[in-house]
Amino acid sequence: MTAATPTARSAPRGPTLRARFGRAVPYLLLAPGLIWLVLFYVIPAVQMFTYSISTGTLETGFTMTFGLDAYATAIDRFGKQFLNSILYGGLATFFTLAIGFPVAYTIAFRGGRYKNLILFLVIAPFFTSFLIRTISWKILLGDEGPLLAPLKHVLHVLPGNFSILNTAVAQVAGLTYNFLPFMILPLYVALEKIDVRLIEAAEDLYADRRAAFRRVTLPLALPGVFAGSLLTFIPAMGDYINADLLGNPSTRMIGNVIQNRLLLQNDYPVGSALSFILMAGILVAVAVYARALGTEQLTG
Amino acid sequence: MIDRDERETPGLSRRRFLQGSAMAGFAAFLAACTGTKTGASTPPSTAASASAPAAASASVEPTASVAATPKVVTGPLKFANWPAYIDLAGKAGDEGVYAPGSSPSLEEFKKQFKVDVDYEEKIGDNSAFVETIKPALVGKLPTGWDLVVLTDWMASKIVANGWAEKIDQANVPNCVANIRDALKGSSWDATNDYHYPWQSGMTGIGFNAKTLKANNIKEPTKIADLWNIPSDKVTFLSEARDTFGLVLLKLGVNADGATTTPEQLQQAAADIQPLVDGGLRFTGNEYLQDFGQKKVWAAFVWSGDLASSGGPDDKFVFPEEGTLIWTDNMLIPKGAANKYTAELMMNYVYDPKVAALLEAYIYYVSPVKGADAELKKLDASTEGNPLLFPTPDVIAKQHNFQALSDDNEKVLNDLYAKLAGN
Repeated sequence: MTAATPTARSAPRGPTLRARFGRAVPYLLLAPGLIWLVLFYVIPAVQMFTYSISTGTLETGFTMTFGLDAYATAIDRFGKQFLNSILYGGLATFFTLAIGFPVAYTIAFRGGRYKNLILFLVIAPFFTSFLIRTISWKILLGDEGPLLAPLKHVLHVLPGNFSILNTAVAQVAGLTYNFLPFMILPLYVALEKIDVRLIEAAEDLYADRRAAFRRVTLPLALPGVFAGSLLTFIPAMGDYINADLLGNPSTRMIGNVIQNRLLLQNDYPVGSALSFILMAGILVAVAVYARALGTEQLTG
Repeated sequence: MIDRDERETPGLSRRRFLQGSAMAGFAAFLAACTGTKTGASTPPSTAASASAPAAASASVEPTASVAATPKVVTGPLKFANWPAYIDLAGKAGDEGVYAPGSSPSLEEFKKQFKVDVDYEEKIGDNSAFVETIKPALVGKLPTGWDLVVLTDWMASKIVANGWAEKIDQANVPNCVANIRDALKGSSWDATNDYHYPWQSGMTGIGFNAKTLKANNIKEPTKIADLWNIPSDKVTFLSEARDTFGLVLLKLGVNADGATTTPEQLQQAAADIQPLVDGGLRFTGNEYLQDFGQKKVWAAFVWSGDLASSGGPDDKFVFPEEGTLIWTDNMLIPKGAANKYTAELMMNYVYDPKVAALLEAYIYYVSPVKGADAELKKLDASTEGNPLLFPTPDVIAKQHNFQALSDDNEKVLNDLYAKLAGN
């Protein structure tokens, strides 16, 4: 559209754009993203906030009362589920990091020509639906499933009533499994970028392999750790499928409560308040985390 | 207690028998359930159709206020029902899960009316299902379903909110003629303007005899016995009425929706809480999968499910303290695209022969007069089965915990949500 005249065509594109639209150019370029954000984030968030300070139901309609009752209920009654979310989300993040780092490290430094194949294998489970994968764990971890049945009836190392399914262990395992690729991929990208000559230089300067790892590889991998833990922790914290399928009523997370309030109890005010608290909590947590690790260094 | 073996003739299983009889003798009587008022759009049926429904249709007075539904069969009929609630044959019958083409009665309906039926086992819990269609109902939009099956308490709300289409009684002569007297005159839709019962059933205890034996636990005979089984091997129902009703019976409280007090509900919740702490879960119809995977040893279940879709060691028992009785009802959600076809389906399943075919598989209590006699003809082993024909002893201890005051319902929902961690 900028190349409307023959003279314009010969000129470089940038200045022409600027000449025609002036200072609006950056905003125009940002427009698609901004419109998307406004439509699908800002407006729903505002709407959710108005629900949270209203009373009423879907049938009777909502009246804005500007009361904070919903927030009081949310914090008062569902503290346990918030704590569960933080605990299980945190544990899942820790385990994905513990499992994912060696994997990413191996792919980046030892993968050789199999790099792409291994990366593909990491993502391959995603070709199956999230739900199916989680439901499959119900079968795998079942009381008489392929894991426990041999331990119970062949090796006799477990008592007959032992179970993993519908405990916190199964739930954290499910979260860890489901979010593992979200940890491995950013870690891989960060590790892959590391210039091997830096590690060689460290060794030349009398660092043993451990020190080289600690002083060179690890700090350079931190952006990956940061991105990976955010990508894991945030969705894991809000997840409700794993708790629903693999947990029990005592291990419910905040996502379960939100789902239940909005979809089953038709309690939009409390459901919205809970969502808002969760969102605010995550924002604060991310801010603290970024500050602690130093954003400049991480994103730069 | 119902033993699976009691009702199956050795060598000729019930399902095998059904498949045979369904295919062979079926065509003759099915014509009867067409009804005579289906008009020109109904495919020409055999001569048998002329005689059978004549008596039924004679008594029908079309209600003046109903806008006449165009009598054109349209489809596909979108039919949402509960799992283990339709007759199945073949592989689907053995697995207990509906697959398209696996239900002889639905196949015959399709053939007879030349219309497709999209039957889905979508409802495992009244609230969970209704919440999926509520936004559409509130917004006066079609829900996407033409026929849904909901329990009394939920069905009454749907009707009270004006979310059900009024049934054109002229299109359902079988229903008018054959509904059992005991089911007539419900408090919420006395003249069946909006609903016809699908099945009645009872809530009691299900257990896996083999697993209990392996762990040296006595088979439960009363509700209280479930407190002696490891709680993480027990499930209660996410239908709060069922769970709380049975626990009230356990506590010696008369589980009657009209007389229950919030304090009694509190007591019941307090009685359940220790089990939740020990790992008790609440499920809808998914308990069938839990039984299949030996995940659960004993549970609150609905009467027919384990007989139709459970394993050979899965048994149902009427608890000594009593059972809860309820009825699930067919409703046409407001704005249904294929209302006339839905009415045809209602009429179809109220033919005693079709009703018997359903009963012989699903083991619930039929709302259809004359289904009993047909059932005995179809499968003699069903005679005396208390799931299908509750004995006077069982009936004496049936409680109806469906109708609760708004306040009680609020208390109940809240107590249940707390127990379930929501």
